[in-house]
Amino acid sequence: MTNFSWIDGSIVGLYIVATMVAGIAVRKYVGKVEHFLIAGREMNLYLGIASLAATEFGIVTCMYTSQNGYRNGFAGATPGILAMLAMFFVGYTGFCVKPLRDAGVMTIPELFEVRYGPRIRWAAGVVIVLGGLLNMGVFLRTGGDFLVAVCGFDPKYLEITMTALLVFVAIYTVLGGMLSVLVTDFLQFVVMSAGLLAVTILILVNIGWDQLVAVVQEKYGEGGFNPFAKPDMGWKYIVDNALLSLAMVLTWQTTIQRLLAAKDTKTGRQVYTRTSVFFLCRWLVPVLWGIAALKVITPQEVGDNTLLAMPMMLSRITPMGLMGILIAAMLAADMSTDASYMLTWSSVIYNDILAPVHKRQWSEKRGLVVSRSIVAVIGIFLLVYGLWYPLQGSLWDYLRLTGNIYLSSMSVLLVACCYWKRANSWGAAGAIICGAVIPVMFLVMEQLPSTRHFAKEVLGPEYSNIATYIIAATAMVLGSLLKPQTRPLAVKG
Amino acid sequence: MPEHLFWWLATALCVVWYSTITIYVAVRGAMDIKSMLLRLSNNGKEEE
Repeated sequence: MTNFSWIDGSIVGLYIVATMVAGIAVRKYVGKVEHFLIAGREMNLYLGIASLAATEFGIVTCMYTSQNGYRNGFAGATPGILAMLAMFFVGYTGFCVKPLRDAGVMTIPELFEVRYGPRIRWAAGVVIVLGGLLNMGVFLRTGGDFLVAVCGFDPKYLEITMTALLVFVAIYTVLGGMLSVLVTDFLQFVVMSAGLLAVTILILVNIGWDQLVAVVQEKYGEGGFNPFAKPDMGWKYIVDNALLSLAMVLTWQTTIQRLLAAKDTKTGRQVYTRTSVFFLCRWLVPVLWGIAALKVITPQEVGDNTLLAMPMMLSRITPMGLMGILIAAMLAADMSTDASYMLTWSSVIYNDILAPVHKRQWSEKRGLVVSRSIVAVIGIFLLVYGLWYPLQGSLWDYLRLTGNIYLSSMSVLLVACCYWKRANSWGAAGAIICGAVIPVMFLVMEQLPSTRHFAKEVLGPEYSNIATYIIAATAMVLGSLLKPQTRPLAVKG
Repeated sequence: MPEHLFWWLATALCVVWYSTITIYVAVRGAMDIKSMLLRLSNNGKEEE
């Protein structure tokens, strides 16, 4: 039973209409590919903060973080602390992001061409798109599962709901590109934040802090508060997530696109430092929701799919009216994420993978048509992939693994590109290959019945991820030393 | 003194910071959009 009523439906409908109108209205400002992909580098600080926060919180984020809260208690928010520290460190010191933004490029692979050559730029584009699309592939299904569970829709409407949502997002993203994404992100940030805060306060008031602490203590003991005391977390979990956080901050294309769209380097770095606390909020808030689910929903009701514990809890405790705000907030979160992700990967496809084809010689009009077509094709891919991929294990594990297909190698390439003069194309190629092969092998092993047990129980995603970073870095060093650069090119910084 | 002070403080920080920043960004972000669109519009006119 859910509290979703016609009043809530009206709130959601109003929100969707307002977003569509705002998103489509700014299409008239898009005259160049640069406007479409990075908003003509005209983004100011507060719009950047709103956009980054809205992009980095989708329904999928809420689902995997709350699942972490349900499974691990407060210790499940540990990745949020690490992400906050990484964001602040990188923004404050300008580590890698300063030379990246100073270089005036539109994507990370474009910077790599300066040091490693055009082939590495192309290869980097391919792994970024491969990892990014696999990562994003589960967004729609997860978002649909959430809406069905919270609103009480018949599951047979899940595909229709997902398709409609994606079509809405695709329309304004195709028309307005980054400009539409920024304007709608702003609206979505406000709506999303209002909903997240309202529900969190509802949980803290109705269930209470003491009850939340008590249920974590009862289920997980000290391990529910301290990741080092939890047998399935420990050092390997911390190291894995610390590496992931730093790599994500440095190279996650949706985050970097805000840096590159900023009007100058200082603004880009400020977006990082001032959004850093949000990276704690985007974990801790849903973790609290997951803990509330632990209190409200019995294990029998949840069954094996712990991902649905949080939406089941929300459908039970959220009153009419607030339910509409919650659904609008979560739709806002999801739409901003989908729009940004579609645009981000299309920017890499256009700017880097298709670079040998267009050679920067296409007219602005032709470039825009192609960029818009790529966004539409990504939308179709998402729909198809989201429907057939069977998710095994934890959602967060899947996202970490697919993200690592490129995060490990790209972060190694970026650090070396900015700070190691001997880094060259051999090392870069080795890092890209090693960084992609290990996570893909793990994903395949996880799907095959004969190797599933070894992949999940013996090896585990943490060791696989840590090994990916170490081997990618080793490949960079060895490859670069084997072929010393004869004509080193400096990166501005 | 609440139990598990670290997580209590982290939760309090999130709720207070997030509420404050939402209101502040809502106001300043709207101004940013206005100025961004104005600059893009002016740039477009200059190029014509």
